[in-house]
Formats: sequence, structure tokens, C-alpha cells
Amino acid sequence: MYEFALAGLLPYTGPLPRAIVLTLWLSTLSILLSVAVGVLGALCRTSTSLVLRWIGGAYVEVLRNIPLLVVIYLIFFGLAQVGLRVDGFNSALIALTLNAGAYMTEIFRGGLIAIPRGQYEAARSQGMTAFQLYRYVVFPQVFRIIYAPLGNLMIGIVIGSSLASVIGVEEVTTWMRRAGDETFRYMESFLAVGVIYVVLAQTINIGRIVTGRWLLSRAPIGHRR
Amino acid sequence: MSSQVAAYWYVFLKGVGITLWISWLALILGGAVGLVIGLLRIAPWAAVRWAAIVYIEVFRSVPPLVLFFGCFYGLSYAMKLDLSPFSAATIALTLTASALMAEVVRAGIESVTRGQWEAALSQGMTYPQVFRYVVWPQAIRVMLPPSVGVYISTLKDSSLASIIGYVELTKSGLLVRESTGISFEVLLIIAILYFVINYSISLVGAALERRFKYVH
Repeated sequence: MYEFALAGLLPYTGPLPRAIVLTLWLSTLSILLSVAVGVLGALCRTSTSLVLRWIGGAYVEVLRNIPLLVVIYLIFFGLAQVGLRVDGFNSALIALTLNAGAYMTEIFRGGLIAIPRGQYEAARSQGMTAFQLYRYVVFPQVFRIIYAPLGNLMIGIVIGSSLASVIGVEEVTTWMRRAGDETFRYMESFLAVGVIYVVLAQTINIGRIVTGRWLLSRAPIGHRR
Repeated sequence: MSSQVAAYWYVFLKGVGITLWISWLALILGGAVGLVIGLLRIAPWAAVRWAAIVYIEVFRSVPPLVLFFGCFYGLSYAMKLDLSPFSAATIALTLTASALMAEVVRAGIESVTRGQWEAALSQGMTYPQVFRYVVWPQAIRVMLPPSVGVYISTLKDSSLASIIGYVELTKSGLLVRESTGISFEVLLIIAILYFVINYSISLVGAALERRFKYVH
């Protein structure tokens, strides 16, 4: 009979904090970078130029339909053969950013196209500068639309960062594999790491819910439920 | 395409077949489990609802790769099950897909307004009748387009089965890469194959969405 013994993992907890920090660092960097990619992509997709729209659309469709794992392999193994050596962490970061950037593009596009053109014209006719227009008219409305899918995508990025383990980045999933391999306590290391990911993802989830409540409390009277 | 890689065309083809098969299987199983969880999620008892929420949130939060390990090594050692890579991959994919499907089912059923339940019940229909003849036909229309999304997501997740040694499309590519020593071209072919499969599925999904849009 299998004896469940979490204590068997204790000798291996040393590198765990570093692994958690690396998971957080990789996720945070790719969240920030993919927001930039997403804004750029959304501007392309909503631009008046047919070429830019097509490029934006092709980017989204291609990256959304290829598994993240294959993108990671392409950058890590594939580019190395063409002569571009990218290390594990950067390969994972680039792949995650490209992948999440495609979803970000769609989220931001959804937010942008929800604002009627008349509002831009009205704001400009009131003498607002472009910065004021985006800061006080566009952004508050777009944020209301995108915060929920943005939260889900952030969870997706944390989950996706686990794939960095296949190319040797020493993050949480790598720790799970190593601790399991060395102690044969696979079930324990799986459950421990599962709890870590649930805590990370649910922290984002709770942040999303709190943001929603806060937005609701600030909504114009007519929009309150 | 170099002839060296082209000689392995049947390996790629078989990989496509296996990837389609396991993701389809996981979608069906995940759909069945997801239907039950989705119904429990809107049950009238708070304790049941919470259990369903915990299930959905846990399997949405734990990375599929971690689930693959848990099922393949964890379950095998803990339960003395000696699962094959295929069984472990199917279980892991089903768990992930069921959490996604549960939310799709919930959204579908909640899209039918309370008034319809009340109207149908007041006509003397029983609960199962209302569900079967009033709610379900409408809910399924709402559920179909996002189900296509779940299928694509499951198909992409199935690439992770390569990590535990299940020879689907990604693993086929890695094997060809090892025996030919050509990385970029082989991986590019794999990426293109995934794109063609998933993009075709998403086109079908878009067609379904258009078709069901004007029904209400």
C-alpha cells in the first residue's frame, strides 16, 4: 500500500523559493511584454490600412492555432539550427509573449471597437488633446470591457509558463519533476506544485473579481445593477 | 522540403491521426464530465455548487503539463496503476477539458431566462420535461460555438502528451528531428500541420456560430 508522505519532499524544498520566483518573473515579464504586443496588434487590426489589418489578423490566427509547446521548440531548437542561439529562459519568454500577444490583440481589439467613432469626434471637438481623449474617454470604457478576459489570460500565462520546464528552465514544474525523480514521491510533488499553481491563479482571479466590484461601485448611476 | 524529411511523411500523417483521435476522445469524455459538473454548478444547494466551483477552479488553475505528470507518474506510483502514456494523457486532457466544458454548459443553461422555466412549469410540465424540451434545445445553440474553442484548446494541450512519451503529432516531429538531425524544417512542418487542423476547426466553428445566430 502506498504511504502518502509529504515529509519525503522536505530535503528538496531548498530550491523551491527560487523556482517560484522564476515562475513569477517569467509570467510577469511575458504579461507586460504581451500587453505591449497586444496593443500594437489591436492598433494594426483596427487600422485603416488593409495591409496592417491583414498582418494583424494573420499573426493572431497563426499563433492562436499552434500549441505553445511547438512554438517553444521552434524557437529553442529550430532557431539554433538556423544559427540563432536563444537560451531556455529567453526562448520561453519569447514563445509565451508571442502566444499571449495574439490573445491580447483580440482582447484589446474587442475593447477598442466597442467605443463608437462619434465619441472620438465629440471629444476632439471639445478641444481635448489626443492624450486626454485616450486617458479620460477611451481608456476608462475599454478597461471596463477588458479587465475580465485580461484576468483569465494572465492565469493562462502563468499556466503556460510551466512549459518552460521542457527546455530546462528551473521553474516550479521543473522542481516538481526533479523532486519526484529523486524521491519517487511523484504524487506528493504533484500535489505540492498543484497547490502552488492554484494559489497563484486564484490570486489573479480574486484580483479580477475585486476589480470588477470596484468598477461597479464607480459606474455611472444608469449602469449600476 | 528536403527529401530526407519528406521520406517521413507517413510518420507525420500518423501523428495527425493520433492527435485528432486523442483530442476528440478527451473532448467527448470532458464534455460528459463537464455536463455533470456544469449542472452541479447551478444546483439549488450551496454545498454542491461550491464543490463544482472548486473542481472548475482547480483544474483551470493547474497547468495541463503538471496534470500530465500527476496522472502518469503520480497515479502510477500512488495507486500502483501502471497507466500507459495513452491512459494518463486521456485522463489529464479530460480533467482540463471538463473544467472548460462545465463553464460552457453553465453559460448555455443560464442563457435561458427564468421566465421560461416558470412559464413551462406553470403549463404543467415536469422539471425533466422543461429541461428536455424547453431549456436544452436553446442551451445547445449557445454552447456549440464555445465548445469548438474548447476542442481547439484540447487539441493544443494534447501536444503535451509528447512529454510523457505518447507518440502524437509533436512527439512524431521530435522523433523525426532526432533521426534526421534537422530541427527547424521538421518543427515548422509540425507547426503548419497544427495550424491547418485548428484553423479548419475554427472555420467550422465560425460557420456554426453564423448559423445559430439568428435563431433566437
